[in-house]
Amino acid sequence: MPNHCRRVAVVCVVAAAFATSAQAQMLDARRLGMGGVATSDNGASRTANVAFRAVPAGRGTHSIPLPIGLIQYANDHPTFDTDDPDFNIFKILDLASNPPLTLSLSKPDEVSGDISIFVARDSLSVDLDDVRRAIPEEAWKMGGVYHLMAIGFGVKNFFVQVVPTIHVRNEFDLDDPLRRALRDAEPFTGNTRYGTSDEGVAQAAVAWQAGMTLRPLYRLPADANEGDQDDPSADDPRRNGATAFYMGAAPKYYWGLAYGSVRGQGGITTGDTLFGSGDPVAIDMTALTRHAAIGQDGGSGHGFGADVGGVFFYKNLELGVGVNDLGSEIDWKTTVKQHVYSDSLNEFTTTTLGKDIDFTSRIPAALTVNVAKRMGSMMVAADFVDTELKTMVHLGVERWLGMLAIRGGAYRDANGRWQATGGTGLRFGGIGVDLAVATHSRNVEEERAAELCASLTLY
Amino acid sequence: MRRWVAVILMLPFLAAGCGDRSLILTVDVLSFLDPADVSEAYGPIPAGLTGVSVDVASEEVSLLPGVEDVTEVSSAKLEIGASFDNTTGSATGQLQIFITSADSADVYSTAPIADIPVSVTPGNVTNVSTEVTSDALAEALVQDKVKIGVRITFDTSASLAPVQGTETITLLRATVITKKKL
Repeated sequence: MPNHCRRVAVVCVVAAAFATSAQAQMLDARRLGMGGVATSDNGASRTANVAFRAVPAGRGTHSIPLPIGLIQYANDHPTFDTDDPDFNIFKILDLASNPPLTLSLSKPDEVSGDISIFVARDSLSVDLDDVRRAIPEEAWKMGGVYHLMAIGFGVKNFFVQVVPTIHVRNEFDLDDPLRRALRDAEPFTGNTRYGTSDEGVAQAAVAWQAGMTLRPLYRLPADANEGDQDDPSADDPRRNGATAFYMGAAPKYYWGLAYGSVRGQGGITTGDTLFGSGDPVAIDMTALTRHAAIGQDGGSGHGFGADVGGVFFYKNLELGVGVNDLGSEIDWKTTVKQHVYSDSLNEFTTTTLGKDIDFTSRIPAALTVNVAKRMGSMMVAADFVDTELKTMVHLGVERWLGMLAIRGGAYRDANGRWQATGGTGLRFGGIGVDLAVATHSRNVEEERAAELCASLTLY
Repeated sequence: MRRWVAVILMLPFLAAGCGDRSLILTVDVLSFLDPADVSEAYGPIPAGLTGVSVDVASEEVSLLPGVEDVTEVSSAKLEIGASFDNTTGSATGQLQIFITSADSADVYSTAPIADIPVSVTPGNVTNVSTEVTSDALAEALVQDKVKIGVRITFDTSASLAPVQGTETITLLRATVITKKKL
């Protein structure tokens, strides 16, 4: 394989890993120290609940990441040269999963080791040694809904915006015999099918969105100092003890740019004798594809959806529920093709099953439920985030002791594993420095590691 | 056999991904031999002769095609074991293993990969074994197909009776350690 092809392959693998993992890394040390929890005054979670737009900013902060991991990367980074004896694709994938913006405190053991194959006339076993750790016990799932940079403006309670939206989802799986053969080094056996399956969908659209937020309920306690310019909490329902309800809704029209999906499976079926005479292995591969694209087959798609949300405050307790992409569907005119591999002819046969077939794709909704309680200098918060591929829970607490903040938290990550976080911060007037230490499993091996995150906070 | 190529050839790529690691390929060559060639009767060889050769087996064996294309062999070894169930006579000699590429006209025309001294006595079973490594062996074992020959050469000059018995190959296992060549 030519060098440039190898490097292109490496770049593609890394890019794919970046696409799926970059958003998982949190660079706001204050938020990370609190388990990554979302609240209405947390800028990172503003898009999680459209009703947050209506809530006064209060003591809202802005975080500026400090990429302290770049120093570590400069001193110790993997080689991208495939000719280098130290080249290790798993190191690069781990780098993609963890862009070197935070300081790595501990890493999982490097995936290494020799691969052993034993071949006999009726026996084949493959021992991938350490590489086995990179083969998950369940299907590889990757993707998400990505709302790219929104462009828009708002007037009073109304806003309009244009949001490029991408939805990607892919699920690749090994069947049980193949998984056992590769992960458990179980010998291959005769008359057995070893198969894989893949199901993927990708769609891109531009969402034209118009929204409105309301405050149907706002009742201050009798002793409130409403409008007090000297008290930053006077008009902040998070801290002024008000009973308040904010809600928002933003219907959107989707102009679908492209849609593509594939559902395929393939495998090999062994004969009576693994390496007997003749050709004892039968190969099967089939795939069903569906696509449409603007300017191409089927043209653009059209659909509707909405973001809705509400947040309720009662005696400094905050409870928010937000749903993004609720009921979001796009209608397409799709071309459907079936691709079947012929074992005897050693070639694929493609059959067009239909053109301009009506098809409605779905952009999966994301639900965010958050609760927070502020008690003077202390805040306790939690959230629950449910998306198409993952359900996450974040728990956090923050306590200010004068200029010093102490934080702790935990979160259930995308792999369902609980991680612990903690941090501290120093505030000097309108600026502060925050540090957070957190465990994570953002690596190919899905093993626990630890990182140190730093950021500046503007109060 | 060739259908396994797609599967097997993926593995060096995995190995290549793991730094300076190796693909260790172990082939039970014995299992690929025709059972009729694994055990062979010899004799009766008259007493008083030197350099009597018995060609036990000469067979073309399919190994793993494509391995040579994606890997560089760093070492190879062949483990050999045989037993001689000798009924009559006594002799000394050599058990020789030949491995050449499949397009070689005569497997016995090349230098043997292994040359194991053998001494048989009447009514006894003699077991011999050895392990050999060589560049020629390494080159041969990554070929798609190879010819394997087994020859026994006896010296019966000290025997009082014709030498007769059965030779059985008990172990013929090749191990090739390769590095990536992508």
